[in-house]
Amino acid sequence: MTIPAAWYLIVSALLFGIGATGVLVRRNALVMFMCIELMLNAANLALVTFARVLHDVGGQATVFFVLVVAAAEVTVGLGIVVAIFRTRHSAVVDDLHELQG
Amino acid sequence: MNTVAMPSVHYLVILPEIILTVAAVGLLIASSLVPGRLRSSVGTGVTVIASACVVVDCVFQWVDISRHGPSTTMAHVIIEDGFSVVAISVLAVSLGLSALVADGWLCRERIEGVELHVLVLASAAGAIMMAQANDLVVIFLGLEIMSIGLYVLAAFDRRSARSGEAAMKYFLLGGFSSAIFVYGIALVYGATGTTQLGQLAGFLSANVLRSQGLLLAGTALLLVGFAFKVAAVPFHVWSPDVYEGSPTPIVGFMAAIVKVGAFAAVLRVLASGLFTQQDGWRPMVFALAALSMLVGAGMATVQRNVKRMLAYSSISHAGFVLLALWAASPRGTAAALYYLATYALLVVGSFAVVTVVSADGHEDLTSYRGLARRRPLLACSFTVLLVAQAGVPFTTGFLAKLGVIESAVEHLGWPGVALGVIAMVATAVSGYFYLRVVVLTYAAPLDASPAAATASTLATSRPRARLAALGSGILVEDTRDGELVDHAEVYGAAPANGETAVPLATAVAIAVCVVPTVVLGVWAGPLVELTTRATMLFHP
Amino acid sequence: MAIVDQYLPILGMLVLGALFASASFVASSVLAPHRKPTESKLAPYECGIVPELESPPRFPVRFYLVAMIFVIFDIEIVFLYPFAVEFKALGGFGVVEIGLFSVVVFATLLFLVAEGALSWGPVKRLTKAMPSRTSDSTIARITPRPTDRAA
Repeated sequence: MTIPAAWYLIVSALLFGIGATGVLVRRNALVMFMCIELMLNAANLALVTFARVLHDVGGQATVFFVLVVAAAEVTVGLGIVVAIFRTRHSAVVDDLHELQG
Repeated sequence: MNTVAMPSVHYLVILPEIILTVAAVGLLIASSLVPGRLRSSVGTGVTVIASACVVVDCVFQWVDISRHGPSTTMAHVIIEDGFSVVAISVLAVSLGLSALVADGWLCRERIEGVELHVLVLASAAGAIMMAQANDLVVIFLGLEIMSIGLYVLAAFDRRSARSGEAAMKYFLLGGFSSAIFVYGIALVYGATGTTQLGQLAGFLSANVLRSQGLLLAGTALLLVGFAFKVAAVPFHVWSPDVYEGSPTPIVGFMAAIVKVGAFAAVLRVLASGLFTQQDGWRPMVFALAALSMLVGAGMATVQRNVKRMLAYSSISHAGFVLLALWAASPRGTAAALYYLATYALLVVGSFAVVTVVSADGHEDLTSYRGLARRRPLLACSFTVLLVAQAGVPFTTGFLAKLGVIESAVEHLGWPGVALGVIAMVATAVSGYFYLRVVVLTYAAPLDASPAAATASTLATSRPRARLAALGSGILVEDTRDGELVDHAEVYGAAPANGETAVPLATAVAIAVCVVPTVVLGVWAGPLVELTTRATMLFHP
Repeated sequence: MAIVDQYLPILGMLVLGALFASASFVASSVLAPHRKPTESKLAPYECGIVPELESPPRFPVRFYLVAMIFVIFDIEIVFLYPFAVEFKALGGFGVVEIGLFSVVVFATLLFLVAEGALSWGPVKRLTKAMPSRTSDSTIARITPRPTDRAA
């Protein structure tokens, strides 16, 4: 018994939607990071599924790159959060209101 | 034992990335091994030499193309054609000039060390990768290499809380857009079975998809990801905050590199890879272009901070390049390339002037009052840069705007004409806010009076869009600016403190930005010829 | 039976993992010095009010920095994996490529070490800032100035 590929794609679309909603709705920078990661992993799931359906290894190889890029991004992001936290003691994005015009 | 077919590598083509990466890693190793802090001027020297080497390599690539024609290498994921070569040389020149501007800033802020140069080199390598990528995954990698460096650069001024805030906003929106972009890649891959643009175009011209939905959704997501990066309306909200908060020399670099790299990639993806799908993506580009031009120019008129004003103006510029993308023709591509080449110089030069003038931390427009008396040369340069951005004749900016509008109007029918009209209106409105600064620059300086500075900023910020535009997009200046100046005279308080000298490196950079703007604006042939000949491989 | 054959190595890994974990526990209980701490020795404070709740542990920022550095180096290994699988097929080209990759990765490690990002323990700058310790400086350290608190 195999699970049809469409199911994976539905899960991936759901994950992507949850992630995108989270970025737009949540106001804690760390939670927003997690939501971005969720979106990237949804894309990874879609890539792997398509690679499986198309019998092509390219999609799976792409996942490697996306994973590494996501890790690099999160490291930089956490670095920025730490830098901000040192001056502000808050990770809530709405507290960042110095730049408005 | 199975063998792997090794892709052939044409090293001349990937030499730009190699040069910049070697320079970056070399600087990193040197700064770790040398006791104490490496002087930042060392970093500047290495960066400028590396960018010069890239330009030389571009000349060799150009010769190679004219002899053997455009080609692909590394299993067709990297491309060498006239378009990529011109884009790379523009990126390299922006890199070198930005490094010179940053040198003066680093000296002023007494920041030693080469970290800034390492990051700048890495970002530029990413942008170059985007410019010559022929595969969505390689474009994504280039995009991320460029962006991750820029997130850190935005936070570079650790003493300033605004810098950290700008980096945070840039990072969150940038990460969001890259996630959207990756999902777009996944959908396009699912619909066509390939991420390589050449194969994509071949597949789409040979086959008719049973359902367009997946490909259309993928294209839309790719376009949204790009629109975030180039700050096209309605995905622009991060841009003014990031421009205002980030260190000024970085902003010039950021604006030039991101725009050139991302637009080079989006032109290649849409006009070459997904050309057959243009009924799907052209309406989206239409909306993005129209909104960006209008909202960018409109919002720029009400800004009080010069960096925010330039941010909105760059949004407007993004709209103009999108206009050329909408045209989806070889002429449009050439116009876009010309626009990007001139814009890169203008924006780097403008932010170089802002770096010098805002040395005391005042980025308010009022601090430009009477600049012409204090520093005539600097004021003259700034005038040229702003006037060129406004699109006044005898500058490169005019030819750039003319080119993109022509490429759009070439499409007979209402959408092209509508976009052309919108572009002219945006040009007229932008003329107002650029020339407002120019007039302020040449206004008589005032003694520092204790009058409330807020009153003066209110006076300058009141929108006065009373403009008359001639039909051809050339504009006349609103005489009401005289009244505006009077307002500022009553309330204004220009900083009349002792001025520090412009650092030599910054002065050189500004000169390199200004001189071609005028020379190539008058003697237009060479650059227009170059961009017209710089065609894309696989361009239908 | 083919499925069982496929999963046999995984089972072996599980058994090995369990063995290693239990062996470590046994070894530490055998090798560690046997001292029975008294109850007051285990308390956070030897005198004063007995705490009712566990206070949340405080990690220094350095901890997060090292964790972040770990994440990035950890994920870089993902590129070594396909190389290791196709090592023979890739031949000399693969070795050169992975060598270059390693050089870049280790250059960043070198930079981190040089910057002192990986040095644990008390921050050295504190002692450097006060070469001659006087009673004044000590008081200044114990009761921070209002400006310090604001920053």
